[in-house]
This record gives sequence, C-alpha cells and structure tokens, in this order.
Amino acid sequence: MAEIQDKIREEAKKALESGEVGVVIGWGAGSVPFKTTPVFIDKPQDADKLVWNPACTNNLAVYLTRWARDGKVGIVAKPCDIRSIVTLIREKQVKRENVFIIGLGCGGVVDTGLMEAGDVRMREITSLQWDGDDLMVTTEAGAVKVPAAQALREQCKVCHDRSPAISDVSVGDAVAPSEDLKIEIPGLSEDRQKYWQEQFAKCIRCYACRQVCPACYCETCFCDRIEPKWTAKKATTDEAWMFHATRAMHLVGRCIGCGECERVCPVGIPAVELARELNAVAKERYDFEPGDPEAEKPLLGAYKENDVDPAHHSE
Amino acid sequence: MSEETTVLAEEKDQSAEPQKWQPSILAILCNWCSYAGADLAGSARMQYPETVRIVRVPCSGRTDPMFVLKGFQRGFDGVMVLGCHPGDCHYAKGNYYARRRIALTQDLLKSLGIAPERFHFEWVSASEGNRFAALINEFTHKLEELGPFDGVA
Repeated sequence: MAEIQDKIREEAKKALESGEVGVVIGWGAGSVPFKTTPVFIDKPQDADKLVWNPACTNNLAVYLTRWARDGKVGIVAKPCDIRSIVTLIREKQVKRENVFIIGLGCGGVVDTGLMEAGDVRMREITSLQWDGDDLMVTTEAGAVKVPAAQALREQCKVCHDRSPAISDVSVGDAVAPSEDLKIEIPGLSEDRQKYWQEQFAKCIRCYACRQVCPACYCETCFCDRIEPKWTAKKATTDEAWMFHATRAMHLVGRCIGCGECERVCPVGIPAVELARELNAVAKERYDFEPGDPEAEKPLLGAYKENDVDPAHHSE
Repeated sequence: MSEETTVLAEEKDQSAEPQKWQPSILAILCNWCSYAGADLAGSARMQYPETVRIVRVPCSGRTDPMFVLKGFQRGFDGVMVLGCHPGDCHYAKGNYYARRRIALTQDLLKSLGIAPERFHFEWVSASEGNRFAALINEFTHKLEELGPFDGVA
C-alpha cells in the first residue's frame, strides 16, 4: 500500500512537472487517521501530500465537471470512480483529453462507522492497512485485525469491477474480488410504500446526496427551480418523496453505485437503493451498464425497435 | 395544476357524502394521436368518466417522468400516458424514446411501492376514439377496485 502511495505521488509529480496537467485531484490525510479529505495539488513539491489507504472513500469524479472544463486535470481514481468518469465522458460533461487518470486497483474501502460497532474505537486508530483479506488497524494499544466483511463498505462487498476500466497510468495491481465477500445487500421490506415514507420522512433536504454525486451534474437542479416549481423547499415527506423519486429517475443509467450519497446522508436514507434497483432492470432489459466504456450512448438517449413494450405488461 | 387539484379536492370532499367516489385520473396525451382520439370520442359523444384531467403534450416523448411522479404526489388516484403506436410518431422516433423512459418509470413506481395498476401506458391513434373512451372506462373500473390512493406521504 505504501508502494502504491509512492507511485501515485511520483506520477502526480511527473504530470505536474511536465505541465501536462494544471492540478491533480487526489486524497490527502484527514484531520484524523481514519479519514481522508480531497486535495487539489497544483505544485510538484506538494505531491507528497497525496495518500492512499483504506479510508480513501470519496468519489473524486464529482469535481471533474468544474475543474476539467477548461484545462487538463489529473485525478487519482479507484475503479468505481473511473466508472463515474466513463459516464461523464459518455454524457459529454467532460472531455476524455481533459482528464489524466491515475487508475488504481482497489480491494474496497472501509466504513469506519461499521468498525466502531465492533471492538475498535475510532479515536484510538493511528493507521489502517490491508493485510490479505483482513484490515490491520493500528491503535495506540496495539494492532487489531478486523475481517473485511466487518470493515468494508456495503457497496465494496458487492463490487465486481476492481480494476480500472480506463486509465492513463495504472498504479498497483487489480485486486480480484474475493468470492466470500459478495454479501447480498438486504432486500427492502415488504411494504415498500410505508418503507419509503419512513425513510423520506427523515429527509431534511440538505442536498448532500446531490452535491456529492458525480452523476448529479446539472447546473440547475430541478429542485432549485422556481418555475416550474417541481418540489417545494419545505422538508415534508411528500416533497422529499418527489425529490428522491425524481433523483432516482435521473440516475438511471448514470449511477455507478459508489454509495457516496448514502455515506454523506446525515439521517441515513438508503438513497442508492432505488437507483440500484433501476440499474439492475436496465442491465437485464436493455443490456446497459452505467460504467461500461463500450456503451456509446446514454441509456435514455437511445432506443431499439424491439425494446420491451410497457403498454403490454401494464395490463 | 393547482387549480385542478383544488377542483379535485372539492370532489374528494363530496365523497364524504353518500355520493359514489370516482377515481381521479391524470391523462397525459400526445397532441398527434391520443389527444385527437379523445377529441373524436368527445365529438362522437361517447361516454367516459368526467374525473379524467387531460394534459396535452406535443409528443409522448415529451412526457418527463416527473409529470407522472408529480401527479401521484398531488394525489391523483391514477396516471395515464397515451402515445402514438410505435412507428407512427409525428416526429419519427419520439415514442421510441418515451417507451424506455415510461417502462423505467413503471419500475420506479414499483420500487417505491405504488401499485403498478395505478399507472397505465398505452398506444392510441387519432382514429381510436372508441378505444380511448374504453380505456378510460377500464382504467376507472380498475382504480375503483383498488380504492382511493392514500398518497405518497
């Protein structure tokens, strides 16, 4: 892991020194050892601020629409982040020639919240490191091994693509998904309508899910519009329903399931659930996967004459 | 929209009286086919429930899934989208785009736990006035069986 981190720094330094990119977006050390923060490196000597560890959760592709508009930027990206970049390129939000991708193989990132539920106390952590299928957690009291199943984020447990789909330089080996880790995400409760009412009732409309989402790239979000007023600003359940339902619809064929919206949600709404279900339908019915570099057109920007006809199966 | 919902709200108030409750329907119709079909049904004086509210769109491809979601949020008992038969689109392919979008809207409603029967999608041409009236009648019967929509919140 330390070797990979050195290579990331080296590649970032090279790209900045040659003037190929104006800035490299990556992860830097957070204020505490179990967190990282996005950093924007614009001087070669600052490249040593870049880090790579199991706490590099942020999907940095969210910054590309703004940063890569007028010039070339470098980005350190996990396979899932790269799927987001693929989507942005396909939907013409970012030009391929404007991104320099430092692609990583990834065995998954950790959910520090899950670890806290176990024996590890987050405040005592001094470093995190993968050791085979276990997470080595070094604390002031000594090292503890946490099994991956307990430490990984939910979406990392079911991740199938652990090597970069596209990249300019590839750092580190692709990590094969471990079969044992493919745990099914718990199904939604039987009474869906009630389930979502309970979830959306919690929503405070902070829009953190939207802000952190690389697929939510609209300059003016429908919910910020005054005319037509699609949803009111008030945080009532029906307005939250309108917001989340529409957002799910907007994410079909775009959401790559990085789960950032769930991570940042202050009230714990499983926002990625709806998009995940719809994408499963898109895969089955239209053979479309959001992060697939082979797909030329967006899901809803294309059609086939023999597409499934909803007029018949609504009967 | 707000005016319509006020009207509907009044209608719902009346349902407290022994009068028979009739489901409210939001129908989004393509200008070139189903809207003309509805027109034909009207001029031929075919009978269908008056609780249907029609929104005319230039093409079924104009139907943003948000129209459907908004209809449910505002408490319609059922939402209906009608468009030109595949291959007959005035703009050549608008209804093909609509087809994918509407199919996925159906799946979204299913995921959200709204009875799929509350959302109806059908192809209706300009000459099918009787079919339009029949569809509205059928849909109304289906919604009557389901009962009033208890809303999204």
